[in-house]
Parts: sequence; structure tokens; C-alpha cells
Amino acid sequence: MLKTYFREATQHPAPLAVFRILFGLLMLYALLRFWANNWIETLYINPKFHFKYFGFSWVNDLGVFNYLIYIICIISCIGIILGYRYRISIISFFLIFTYIELIDKTTYLNHYYFTSCVAFLLCFLPAASYFSLDAHKNKEVSKIPSWNIDALRFFLCIVYFYAGIAKINSDWLIEAQPLSIWLKSKYDMPILGQILQFKFIHYAASWFGMLYDVFIPFFLCFKRTRKAAFLFVILFHVMTKIFFPSIGMFPFIMIFCALIFFDDSIHKKWIIQLKNIIRVIKNFIKKNKIQNTKNADVIYKNDSLVLPVLICFFVFQLIFPLRYLAYPGELFWNEEGYRFSWRVMLMEKKGYTTFKIKDSVTNKTFYVDNSDFLSSFQEKQMSFQPDFILEYAHYLAKHFENQGHKNIQVFADSFVALNGRPSQRFIDPNVDLNKKIESFKHKKWVLPLKDEIYGL
Amino acid sequence: MQVFFFQKHLLFLNMKKYTLLFISYTLLFLNHCSTDLEETIEPEIITPSNEVTEPVNNSNNTSSQNTTTTTSFDHKGMLINWADNIIIPAITDFQNSLIQLQETANTFTNDPAVENLTSLREICLKSYSKWQYVEMFDIGVAEEIYFKNRMNLYPVNTGKVEDNISNQNYDLEISSNFSSQGFSTIDYLLFGIDDNDDNIISKYSDANLNYGTYLSDIVDKMVDLTNQVKAQWESSYREYFIESIDNTATSSINLIVNDFIFYFEKGYRANKFGIPAGVFSGNPLPDRIESYYGEKYSKILALEAGNAIDQFFNGKNYLDSSEVGLSLNQYLDYLEDDDENKLSEKINNQLKIAKDKILELNDNFKTQIEDNNNQMLATYDAIQKTVVLLKVDMLQKLNISVDYADADGD
Repeated sequence: MLKTYFREATQHPAPLAVFRILFGLLMLYALLRFWANNWIETLYINPKFHFKYFGFSWVNDLGVFNYLIYIICIISCIGIILGYRYRISIISFFLIFTYIELIDKTTYLNHYYFTSCVAFLLCFLPAASYFSLDAHKNKEVSKIPSWNIDALRFFLCIVYFYAGIAKINSDWLIEAQPLSIWLKSKYDMPILGQILQFKFIHYAASWFGMLYDVFIPFFLCFKRTRKAAFLFVILFHVMTKIFFPSIGMFPFIMIFCALIFFDDSIHKKWIIQLKNIIRVIKNFIKKNKIQNTKNADVIYKNDSLVLPVLICFFVFQLIFPLRYLAYPGELFWNEEGYRFSWRVMLMEKKGYTTFKIKDSVTNKTFYVDNSDFLSSFQEKQMSFQPDFILEYAHYLAKHFENQGHKNIQVFADSFVALNGRPSQRFIDPNVDLNKKIESFKHKKWVLPLKDEIYGL
Repeated sequence: MQVFFFQKHLLFLNMKKYTLLFISYTLLFLNHCSTDLEETIEPEIITPSNEVTEPVNNSNNTSSQNTTTTTSFDHKGMLINWADNIIIPAITDFQNSLIQLQETANTFTNDPAVENLTSLREICLKSYSKWQYVEMFDIGVAEEIYFKNRMNLYPVNTGKVEDNISNQNYDLEISSNFSSQGFSTIDYLLFGIDDNDDNIISKYSDANLNYGTYLSDIVDKMVDLTNQVKAQWESSYREYFIESIDNTATSSINLIVNDFIFYFEKGYRANKFGIPAGVFSGNPLPDRIESYYGEKYSKILALEAGNAIDQFFNGKNYLDSSEVGLSLNQYLDYLEDDDENKLSEKINNQLKIAKDKILELNDNFKTQIEDNNNQMLATYDAIQKTVVLLKVDMLQKLNISVDYADADGD
């Protein structure tokens, strides 16, 4: 059975074609929006210093050339939408998009990571085998092995499910945090603003959010519940967009991606309608009627390398979010294994971290003004994330060494508040951070949270 | 409105299970909000008043705000209290003191006598003290004209001042002259241009030296700038200010809270204590204190600034501090989950601890830093603890969007 599932072409590629077009359109819009907001400059070009992902310190911002790679990325998007030289387009989109995200971890967002993962999958899937310029030139495929579509579905299931079980913790379900803080501050919304002041609304929203994330993938998978589930997808993501406008493109991406769960017949219908519109336009322009040629069944065969690659990808996706289990201490506090794990909107965390530079011989000390080195956004993110604090401490040590200071020690004076708790000291103030080395090991110099969060 | 929105959605749901769940949710939702809207619609006292005798909210009202968590916080009431009972009265009082300063300065420049110099210094201190209540409100015209930088940038650039005076050719509008105008410059002109009072007076007596002209120009410019700020508040700006109750980066509450925190951290903590004590440089820099030449004024001014902070945070009426209206203290109490361990109390306690430490300092911070800088540093540390409470704990509770470069979140 498994063999036939992976070998036999049983599905129409229409869902992939729709997915490809919508994904391309959304990314095109997202890139243009990013540019229009001037974020290329403020997030990548202006900062003097970038926080690097561990192991990716070789990824540098390219100055003005950032705009150039953005342009290539935008052209790639158009290639994806039209299905024109699709393979090159999607690979260049994936590489450039991921490269940009790797420049500075300050801007890390789960939905950027999601985008990179989807783009990676799309590199291997026959998304342009149907209704694309490539297919138009060659031949439209009418049957593909169904796992090509299921791969995207499975990935979406992982994202939702992991996001859901991450919400099964005492802060989210028992304290209704951080939603309490966030919803209360939406007092300025018409009508809703008053309602959002009630504690029970915060609880309802928390529980609904958790249940939604955990169960929606299953309801989307079953045909009987699919339509209702999709309405919930729309409702849920539109609500998040209303309450949290700053989440940007994420709700739209998730809504459109969820369409992949629908049967190929529906997707086919849409594409046939689209084709009809195109034909009408073409006829109108050319005046000479194009015949609707009926193709014989063209069957698509995947390259034999694709399956092993995707299996590795999914094994990684299933295991990597669980790496936090290998670390002692509170995940939300230490953030060891927090990123790349579909932990979305789980924390309201604020920090205030300043650095004391000390000459270990003369004992002379002075404090650093963070705004001399970091953008306010970077400073905000640095203040409560241990790996940022360490990286910045090393940067400061190097900076002052170059200025001629000697015997440099760097101490952090750091306070953090998590999910409505009072602030407490975050970093051991007696530890010279200049001596500590970044690694995947547990960071002992982060003081433990003086409270317990129960749950997964 | 809400009802129709949800019902419309219901029509599309053919799944009975969900429909039931949804209906029950909606009913719960509506039931609660309808009864509650009626309760909250009842208008709160929002009669603005400039008079001392009629505070916006009396203390009884305030305490009732604390205990009920179901009633929404009156954000507009807080803005009205800030505008009518704190900001506008402070600016008005400051403006009056400046006009007095202008008159006294004219008297002195026309007749540079010892007694005129003495009374000018007194009036100057009075005005400088009142300035401490105005500096933090860096909003509207004040922000546009760089009000705080032109009124009180220190240390004064004495070289530039002397150049301006001897050249008689200067443009006070340009930023390179911001450190050669305002209070720090007056401080220098009244105390620092020579070793003793006799010599200072003789410099003013010599009309060719132009010290009097420069003093008058500086004071006139300060009056002019203050008039601009005051005029904006008296025109439509007050209306605009109190109506902007949203929680966005450009709304009044957010701007003022950001101004307040920025002032606390920079104008108060760093400028008055941290920088002179050498926190950011490694070496003490006693010449960086406020009113360096007036010497014994630095502590008075710091205490006034601390009082202004306490007044704003707690919503105390500028003209009568026993009258309390809505401010951050009350807002935090409204948002408080832990009544045993209130953030507002923590902040007030910490402000008090810092104040007690300041009271123990030498009247002249320069002497204090030179004699025992550790005491100065301990005072700084006490103030620093409040910075953490304001920037971390308070901002988390208020969930105010700070003017960070905007980017998406998730």
C-alpha cells in the first residue's frame, strides 16, 4: 500500500497549482510591503551590528545590495506565480528569502520561518506541472502521486499541532496570560474594547486558541468536517488580525495555505474558471479562436532523490521543536529551544539590560549606552534573550578593546518580566560574559525564574 | 452589530456540533456585554477645570477605580487630568515666572547693581525650579521646536557663549547654539563669567562688552519659546490631546508615557546624577551637573524634578498636590492582578527611597561628587531601580507600543 501511495500518480496537480499561485502572490505582496515600509533600510542596512544565528555568522548584510537581492526575490515571485522557469524561481526565492532572514535574528518571526520551510518544500514539488507557463510550453501534467500534495498538508498539520500543544501550559490556560495583558490594552477598539476588559473573555480566547490549534489540522483532514473547519480558520485568523494588527501577513498566509486541504476537484474548478477568463481575454485580443485541446493523461514522476530529502525534512520538523526537553529550567525564561518550534504569541516578555564594562586590573567601571550601538528594536529584543545578551556582550568587549581599553570584563545588569510577573534579575551580575562562549549548551549564568510554569 | 456579525457566520455552519458551541459562546458573550455596557456607559466625571477647587477626580473616585475591575478605566479622564491639572498649569506658572525673570533681567542690565544681581539670581532659581515641571512634556510644539534642548541643555558651552558675546553675531535658532542658550547659559552669565560678584558686575557695567545684551536676548528667546508652547495648548491642541485615547504609537497616552519614561531615564537619572557621577564614563565629571556655576542649586533642582515626577505619576494637581486625579498610579491599579503586591506602591516606595537619598546629599552636587562620589552613585542606583519598574513592569502592564522602529511581531 505504501509503495503504491508513493509511486502511483492518483491526484490531479490543481491544488499545488493554486497553492503556488497564492503563495507567490502573497510573497510578492509581502516583499513589496516590506520595501514600502522601508524595513530593508531600518532593519538591515542601518544597524551597525547584527545579531547572528548560531552557526550563521557568515551571513552578512549586503548594504545597498540588499535592494538588489530584493529585486531578484521579487522577480522570482513573479516567476513562481506564472510558473515560468519555476524550479529556478522557487529555488532563488527560497535562498534569498532565507538569506535575508538569517542576516539578523532580531527580526525572527515564526511566519518567516514558515515561509522558508514552505518555499523549501515547493522546491521539490511539481507545483508548476499544471496551469503554468512551463506546462504550457511542454505538456500539462494531469496526475501526480498524492504525497506531493500531502507533504504540504502534513507540514501545516505539524505547524498547527505544535503551536497548539505549546499553549498547554499554566500561564496560557490557568492565568490566561499573555492574552490578559494584550486584550486589556485593546480598550480603544470600538464596542469590543469594553468587552475585552473581562477576565472570562481572556480565558475563553486562550482556551479557544489552544483547542483551535490542536484540533484544526484533524478537522481539516476529514472531508466531513473540512468546510466548517475552514470557516473556523478564517474566523480565527481574521480575529487575530483584528486584535493584533502587528502580526502582519501571518493570518492571510495561514488562511490561503489551508486551502490545500480541499479536494483537487474544487481546485480544478477554480483553475478551469481562470483558464476560461484567460481564454476570453486572449480571444478578445487575437480575434482568432483558440481551440480547447483535450490532453491525454500525462503522468508525473518524481525524481528519486526527492522522497528521501522530504523524509529528512519531516523528521527534522518533528524532532527539532522538541529539543527544549533536553534543557533544564523554564523554556520561556531561558529560551533554549524556543525559536523554530511554532511557539506563537506565547509570551509577553519585557526586559531592561545594561552593560557594565570593567577593567579587571584597575577596577574602573562604566556603563554602556545601548542606543550608541543598537537600534531600538534590537535593544528591545536583546534585553530579554540570553543569546542576544551574550553576543552583544562580546561585541562590546571587542569594541572597547579596539578603543584601547584593557583587561575588559563585561557584566550585565538585566531585569526581565514574563507574562505579567514582577520583574526579576535575569543574568547573574557577577558573571563576566566576555569569558562565556556561545554554544547549544545550557546557559548557567541565566538566573532561574522564581516561579514555575507547568505544562508541555 | 456584533450579533448580526456572528449570526451571519452561523448561517454558513452546517455542523450542528459547532453551531451549538457557537451559539452558547455568543450568548455568553452577549449576555455579559449587554449588562455590562449599561454599567459602563454611565458617564464618569469628566468636567475639566482649571480651578484648583474643582479637581477632575476626587480621591474617593480614585479608590473606587481600584477595587472594581469590571469597569473600564477612564482613559480620557486621565488625559484631561494631565492636560488641565498638570501640564497646562505647570506651563502657565513657568511662563509667569519667566516674564518676571525677563523684567528682573531688564532691571539688572539697565542698572547692574549688587542687589539687582541678587534678586535676579533668586528669580532665576525660582524659574529654573518651575522649569523642572515642564521639561518632561516633550510633545506637540515643544517637541517641534526642541523646547527642552533650548531651555536646559547642559553643560553650557562657555566658549561659544563668549564668542557670541564678543562677535555680537549669533543665530539662536541653530542647533549649534542650543548649548549657548537657556538656563545653563543664564547660570553661567549670572555666576560664572568671573571670579566674584564685583567683577561680574563690572563686566555688565561695561556696555561695550555686551554681556547685558546677550542675557536679555537669551531670556527673550526663552519667553518667546515658552509662549509658543503655551499658545498651542491654549488653542485647539488641548482638545486634540484629550481626544486621542487610542493605544497607538502616536496617541497622547503613549506619547506622554514615553516622554515620562524618557525624561526619567535621561533628563532625570542620567543628566542630573549618572553623568556627573561618572556612571557612563568611568571618571566622575562634576562639571556636568545642572546649574554648575550656581553651585548650591543642583540639589534643589533635582528635588523639584523628583517632585514633578511624583506629581505626574500620581496625578497630583500642580497647584494643589492634595487634589489627586487619574494618572499612571490609578491606571496601574486598574490593571493590577496582585493587590497584595501592587506595582504602583512599589514605584512610589522606590521614588521615596531615592528622594531620601537625595536629601542626604550635599546641596552642591559638585562638592558631593568630589568629596564622596559613592554616595552619589548609591543615589543613582536607587533611581535606577525605578527605571526597571517603569520600563519593564509598568510598560508590560500598560502594553504600550513604544516608539520602536515598527516591525511585525508574532
